[in-house]
Amino acid sequence: MLRYAARRLLTALPVLLIVSLLSFGIVWIVPGDVAAEMAGPTATAEELARLRERLGLTRPWHEQLVGWYGALLQGDLGESILLRQGVGSAIVERLPVTLSLTFVALAIAFVAGTGLGTLAAVRVGKAADRAAMGTALIGFSLPDFWLGLVLVYFFAVVLGWLPTGGYVPFAQDPLGWARSMLLPAATLALSQMGLFARMTRAAMLEVLRQDYVRTARAKGMPGWVVVGKHALRNALVPVVTVAGIACGVLLGGAVVIESVFSLPGVGRLIVGAIQRRDYPVIQGGLLLTATIFVLVNLAVDLLYALLDPRIRHGRR
Amino acid sequence: MAGASASISAAGAPQRRPPGALARLLAHPSFRWGLLLFGLVALAGVLALWLAPFDPLRNNFRTRLRPPDGTFWFGTDRFGRDILSRTLFGIQVSLRIGLGVAFVTALVGGALGAMAGFLHRLDGPLMRVMDALMAFPAVLLAIALAAALGPSELNVILALSIAYVPRTARVMRAGVLVVREFPFVEGARAIGASPTRVLLRHVLPNAMAPLVVQQTYVFALAVLAEAVLSFLGVGPPPPTPTLGGIISDGRDFIQEAPWVSLAPGVVIAMVVLGLNLMGDGLRDALDPRLRTAVQ
Repeated sequence: MLRYAARRLLTALPVLLIVSLLSFGIVWIVPGDVAAEMAGPTATAEELARLRERLGLTRPWHEQLVGWYGALLQGDLGESILLRQGVGSAIVERLPVTLSLTFVALAIAFVAGTGLGTLAAVRVGKAADRAAMGTALIGFSLPDFWLGLVLVYFFAVVLGWLPTGGYVPFAQDPLGWARSMLLPAATLALSQMGLFARMTRAAMLEVLRQDYVRTARAKGMPGWVVVGKHALRNALVPVVTVAGIACGVLLGGAVVIESVFSLPGVGRLIVGAIQRRDYPVIQGGLLLTATIFVLVNLAVDLLYALLDPRIRHGRR
Repeated sequence: MAGASASISAAGAPQRRPPGALARLLAHPSFRWGLLLFGLVALAGVLALWLAPFDPLRNNFRTRLRPPDGTFWFGTDRFGRDILSRTLFGIQVSLRIGLGVAFVTALVGGALGAMAGFLHRLDGPLMRVMDALMAFPAVLLAIALAAALGPSELNVILALSIAYVPRTARVMRAGVLVVREFPFVEGARAIGASPTRVLLRHVLPNAMAPLVVQQTYVFALAVLAEAVLSFLGVGPPPPTPTLGGIISDGRDFIQEAPWVSLAPGVVIAMVVLGLNLMGDGLRDALDPRLRTAVQ
């Protein structure tokens, strides 16, 4: 297991290295002068020079690169130009919002998706199967930010049941937190729910054909126990693996959903930074989300190997 | 008719010539529904110049925020612009960008994937770079790239292509890895065909099916992502009508004029649903082995 973990870690390192290089490089694809673009057309020559100095643009690129990695190793992501705050602390402040949104959405997507997928597999070919798969397909075809607006209109504007946006910290008011999370998380969950449903259905159809399922049925077990206990547990193994990938997609989706629901999360920070050309925040935000994604997938892989010995011994 | 013969041959009927890929495709119910949905929207977009009742760019402050009625079928926005006309022209932008991204990623991702799958030495480095690109949430990466490159339709295509190229490369690589082990490839090598010829004549044509399927999904993803980019203001610059941009326009008036955002969202959903359905149909028709796989 340790050897597998070490090997898996070794493949993650170059990926992280390239990720950090790409995050650094995003400034370099800006056509023209980055500082001029950030400062806007009204900036004086003196302001421009000061901004260039602050961004380190006066140094040659290899010194900037060394500086970037040197700071990274010390956990320093640089300084936001607009917030007048360290990028790291700006992100950490907003991380709880984004993480709760992502995980509530993941939970909704997983429960609803595996439920739909199981229903479809058990009733394969019947109307329920078609209805469940239709729902899944529509789920990942709807533009989520638009769906968010539609839900806000119905549940907040017309019915007045839920807030139109904003965030209430869990520690302050758990019920208010749940109310503020419900619409954005449900919106964000929808597309991944569709994927979970499709995967669960495929895996369940495979598992339901296995001998041990037939044996369980033959010895007279009630159908729901066979499905719930014998089949679903085994079918969920590949589905759980995609949860890591879903996590990354949800983190990306959170960027947009936070803007729609005015949630003060990392996504809104990055979008704001992109709209106002605050490059240190863009770089730090990109690097952080990608790193979280790589680490989550690393954790999922290790967990998977821990549960299934065939993987750490097999050739992968 | 074609549907009946497809299901008989699938059930293992006595040797009858199986229907061709095109017949199977057109007999596939989800492909037909997808083609209908996508085709309707695409046709409306292509004919926008003739179908649009008003100039999509002309402001008219006397008709601002009108609810849908006989004159303005989908209502008007805050500048009094006709939303039906703007939506029709927005479809053109969405389809141009979606198609552009599907083509660019097919070319670049196809080439990269084929090289990674065929040339052993390039496999590791190329795929690590693809892994790293995939570690960024695609939409977020596209937003950042589009913002850095500056707002234009071409830059949106470029940004989305960079974000989605790893998927295409992965699919192509997987296809090449499977096909290169087939006996006919070994045969071609044995009679002295050059590696280039083996790759271009024997491996690639047989590894194309999954790529075609994948590009249908990439097209759909690109349409969705373009809407997000325009919604956040890093898409094609205003006053170009874009579907995401119209939704964003309506966002500030969600209480008093909810119709502004409605139509473009439905249209995006139709395009994406249509493409996904067509992709599912293509997958079943071109490559039955992929039937259980998910995107």
